[in-house]
Amino acid sequence: MRISFVGGGTDLSSFYTKEKGCVLSATIDKYVYVTIKHGPQIRGINVRYSESESVQNVRELKNDRVREALLASGINNNIEISIFSDFPGKTGLGSSSSFSVALMKGLRLLRGDTVDARTVAEDACMLEIGVLKEPIGKQDQYAAAIGGFNILTFNPDHSVVVEHLLLDFRKSIGLEKHALLFFTGITRDARDILSEQQKNTESKFSTLSQMVSMAEPFRTELLAGNFKRLGEMLHEGWELKRTLASGVSTSTIDALYAAGQGAGAWGGKVLGAGGGGCILFLAPLESHEAIRNAMKGAAKKHNLGWFNEVPFQFVQSGVEALMHKQ
Amino acid sequence: MKDFISEFSNHAIDAIRTLPSAEIAKALVILQATYERGGRIYVCGNGGSLALATHFVADLNKTVFSNHLEKKLQRFQAIRLPSTESELTAWANDVGYDMVFAGPLKNYIQEGDTLIAISSSGNSQNIIKAVELAHEYNVPIIGMSGFDGGVLNRLADAKILVETPLGEYEVVESVHAVILHMMVKYFKNYFNFLADNGHIV
Repeated sequence: MRISFVGGGTDLSSFYTKEKGCVLSATIDKYVYVTIKHGPQIRGINVRYSESESVQNVRELKNDRVREALLASGINNNIEISIFSDFPGKTGLGSSSSFSVALMKGLRLLRGDTVDARTVAEDACMLEIGVLKEPIGKQDQYAAAIGGFNILTFNPDHSVVVEHLLLDFRKSIGLEKHALLFFTGITRDARDILSEQQKNTESKFSTLSQMVSMAEPFRTELLAGNFKRLGEMLHEGWELKRTLASGVSTSTIDALYAAGQGAGAWGGKVLGAGGGGCILFLAPLESHEAIRNAMKGAAKKHNLGWFNEVPFQFVQSGVEALMHKQ
Repeated sequence: MKDFISEFSNHAIDAIRTLPSAEIAKALVILQATYERGGRIYVCGNGGSLALATHFVADLNKTVFSNHLEKKLQRFQAIRLPSTESELTAWANDVGYDMVFAGPLKNYIQEGDTLIAISSSGNSQNIIKAVELAHEYNVPIIGMSGFDGGVLNRLADAKILVETPLGEYEVVESVHAVILHMMVKYFKNYFNFLADNGHIV
């Protein structure tokens, strides 16, 4: 899964077809695992996720991603697909696209194709955006497939330029140490917010342009290890992002965010489309305990039973085959 | 004599001054990613480059962890190709010299691994065969070459080229040793930093 720092929303086609979009993100040690078994010993089509489906015809599957991926792959019997995740979905960490990337990669391997990360990212984009017409962008698929710290540029011709940031371990661990990640306990469907955002693109065009222009300075400060400035930039980005659609922030989210800021954070943002999910802060080390306490207090006040801090590390590696028996 | 010594030193200094730092950084990120996913790192080369490969494997597997040998800590899994003389001679004698790296590599290679290929000319057939096999498995390639980089520099993902006039093996191999030691030092610092910050106990 991934944390996106700046530029989220500019990866939507309603924006980047008119003006280049740009996102800076990094992958973290939270994974989605997909196992695929195919062979005559398996009867029918079996898919296990939060639900369990066993059907005879691919078209009967309720899980639309698995259904369309299987239809595209031509596999129509004798298959079992199971999905596990380190962290629940709909939390702003890009898990649903991580799932699509892992699924497409697995199905490619099953057919005996070894493909590069970029092709897997495009496969997942084709599945989610091309076939399923989800109102989402392309940043999560690329982040999950490629891994590490990346600047992703989305061109009007739909091509994506990936610039891998060559960050040394002091900067990457330093960023990790200054970061605090909280799950608000609220899950939301990104699609509702992003649909509105797609529609609002024209009226919010200058805001989105401003968000694009933040990627370059963010990169500069990141490579310099200026964590305070990075926190302030997250805050500026969040202030812009929350105006993009009505559901990006809510009074509860605002209260949680204010609690963290009030306890000494340099800045932060809600990850993903917003409306719930995870909140990231960058803060001086001496404020971390105060921020934790303030966030816990605010969560309790708003009856967020599933609120929790999420320890994480950045990782350089993208999607991978953990085991592949030919 | 003095002139010769200063001339050679100056060539070496020039080569070090113009190291392809972005490509070396890319190689470090590739190695870090390979470590994180528990992949293996294969290193190969001919003659002096084979000696560099052997030396680097020992450094990456052991020297990097010198201060933490007693700790429970995942280590690098670097493998020199081929790992036995018997494999080297068996492949050379039975199949052909161009298969001495690619042949034994096929026993191990999996997606998620990394290949470091060292060749001053960048054109050694046996090195290119190994690179092509890695490419087939979608395994990232760190290419360390000299002169004009040859085929290896073109095919590598991290293109570490020590550019020199053709045939300057001594300068190229010396600078390759510097770069390999730089990588060793980077990861040594990394694990020391992790330990100092309480990530390794």
